[in-house]
Amino acid sequence: MKKRGIGIGSMFYGIGYGFSRQDIGAATVEICEDGSVIVRSGEVDYGQGSDTIFCQIIAEELGVDYAEIKLITADTLTTPNAGPTSASRVTYVTGKAMMKAATEVRETMREVAEEKLGMQDLMFANGQVFSMSHPEKNISFARLAKATHLAGRSVVATAWQDITTKDVDPETGQGDAYSTYAWASQIAVVEVDTETGKIEVLRVVAAHDVGKAINPKNVEAQIEGGVATGLGYALEEQILINKGIVQNTTLSEYMVPTSMDVPVIESHIVEVPALEGPYGAKGVGEPALIPTAPAILNAIANAVGVRVTALPANLENLHRLIREQENNNKDKS
Amino acid sequence: MNIDEFSCVGKSVPKVDALSKVLGTARYAEDIKMSNMLYGKVLRAGVPHAVIEELDVSSARAMGGVACVLTARDVPGINRYGIAFADHYALAEDKVRYAGDPVALVAAETEEIAAEAIKAIKVKYRLLPVVSDLHEALAEGADRVHDERENLILHSKTRKGNIQEGFRKADVIVEETYTTQTVDHVYMETESGVAHIDETGMLVIQSANQCPFRDRRQVAMVLGIRENQVRVIKAVTGGAFGGKDDVTVEVHLALLAMATKRPVRLVMSREESLVSQSKRHPIEIWSRWGATKEGKLCAMEGRVYGDSGPYIGLGAFVVKKCGIHLSGPYYIPNLKVDSYSVYTNNTFNSAMRGFGVTQAAVAHESQIDRLASKLGINPLRFRLINALDVGLTNATGQKCDESVGIKPTLEILRQVVLKDPELKNMWEDLD
Repeated sequence: MKKRGIGIGSMFYGIGYGFSRQDIGAATVEICEDGSVIVRSGEVDYGQGSDTIFCQIIAEELGVDYAEIKLITADTLTTPNAGPTSASRVTYVTGKAMMKAATEVRETMREVAEEKLGMQDLMFANGQVFSMSHPEKNISFARLAKATHLAGRSVVATAWQDITTKDVDPETGQGDAYSTYAWASQIAVVEVDTETGKIEVLRVVAAHDVGKAINPKNVEAQIEGGVATGLGYALEEQILINKGIVQNTTLSEYMVPTSMDVPVIESHIVEVPALEGPYGAKGVGEPALIPTAPAILNAIANAVGVRVTALPANLENLHRLIREQENNNKDKS
Repeated sequence: MNIDEFSCVGKSVPKVDALSKVLGTARYAEDIKMSNMLYGKVLRAGVPHAVIEELDVSSARAMGGVACVLTARDVPGINRYGIAFADHYALAEDKVRYAGDPVALVAAETEEIAAEAIKAIKVKYRLLPVVSDLHEALAEGADRVHDERENLILHSKTRKGNIQEGFRKADVIVEETYTTQTVDHVYMETESGVAHIDETGMLVIQSANQCPFRDRRQVAMVLGIRENQVRVIKAVTGGAFGGKDDVTVEVHLALLAMATKRPVRLVMSREESLVSQSKRHPIEIWSRWGATKEGKLCAMEGRVYGDSGPYIGLGAFVVKKCGIHLSGPYYIPNLKVDSYSVYTNNTFNSAMRGFGVTQAAVAHESQIDRLASKLGINPLRFRLINALDVGLTNATGQKCDESVGIKPTLEILRQVVLKDPELKNMWEDLD
């Protein structure tokens, strides 16, 4: 018989390292004479999308097109140390450093523009710098860049953002452990075949507080990837170790979810701004995955009344638990 | 802040690297070919715990096409590294502590010759008892993974309020042990990199990594050179998820390139990656939760045992973070959690997406559901009743004073369920 169940999982996650571990982000912004922009940062994009986010932040602050920014990252000789890509920290800490560095350069350029245009209410947008009250008073970002160079003003700024938090007390574990926290809840709907123990995840509805989604599509992509990873964690993935020796050493023996296993995922983005984050943004990378396995486990319990306490909830384990439950019920009756 | 104030932020612009990935022009470490490049290979222990009685590399060294064979004796600096604590041997010295421990390195003209040379290395092991079980590892007189240290890496504590009083107020209590398994990151790209000495004499490493600066520090230490003589560049990287946070190929590449003064490449097979590289901690969590009949959490007690394997890596932090997140996103006035990270001879377990909180959530969310079921309260409603909010303190006593989004996430899901007949039908008790 096939039975359906619904379950929910929630989580909170401290963004950054905590424990007095150095937690800094850094970026250098440089404006070329023609107004093109070079950004350098030691931060790593290993696929999660931070390079895109950084370009968006710089573009926002300078009022230029994000696609025209040249970003150089993660090279110890040419970029400032921005710490690792981990702890769901990158947007929150290095994203803020980006914002600060771009702001610093822009404010220098603003001074030059104020002098040139004789106006104070200047706005940087669409590659132009113009007076909000008198838009006819304007100069292109490119010409302003040249003028800033000619004026001998600095067109380079390096900014630093520090979110290091003091370690918790060693005896009580009390203290302000993290600079901010991410929050999330996910609902999973599963169908369990009570004969075989086979579980199909039919649907996941995810709600994540990311502070501010700099790139909503990218946030959704993070959530979808996280759900797929969480699904594998809940239902099938397991390194089998016998007396210290890994037994499944190929991907035909170590099973990961395929596109056939991943359900419909519906993402809802919640934005409760984080004070120290750029535009209120904080991380989503790890939170994306954390609620998935609990939601699935709770949905299984809802469907068939058995609680899996030892992961993964694979075919064999679930089949056994359902048989045990049936036998217990027989004993009682 | 109004969304319309922004021109680019908040917009779903295409990823800047999308085109290069779709077209296949992105240059991953494995795609980097340099002239005169050698192929590196690592001899892994294959046994989880043993003393190296003999290590004979002479016939491997004598093979045609072999540029160098290195053992611990050839390490010019300190033969240890580690992000938090330098207990990780670049190459095994007197003993091996897990099956993936590196024993010797080879660089050869082709991959085939390198593989042959690896086979020609003779190692005689004296097998030691395998420390595989967490509790046996912590028992009095247990065999040690590191002779000079006990197997307990770190015991961290969280204490808030008074759990005796807290449990006295409880009308329902649930108690359970949860175990989570070891899993791999399974990034599409395995650990890989290329190293060479540039025209200025600087050692340059291009690899798949998560933090070139941390890799640089560890490489410099093992090589005994200054950090400004090492340049680490992150090549286009095909996923990491915490698995490329610790050093993977960088130290070995550095040793081989410095020894041969030639470009060297190291690309792990999936099998080598699964056996030798870091994994998610398997964690055993016992916990006891109490709530009043009104549905308010009043006390929680927990014990967390995390298997970090043979080297700390980031393990002590993973298990500590698990412990201080064991409360979940809920207000619990009284709690007591003890977390233990432990050395074993199992796989090297370090950072993986979620960093201990993935495991914590399996326990706290299962316990929350069991309490809700005992109290006859809908699980989503039960979470809403207990969710942290502005003004409340979390498990470490930190006051929630900004960006507290748990209730809004629950509220959105509640609305989704109420409006969806299929979901509402399964959760009739949700109001």
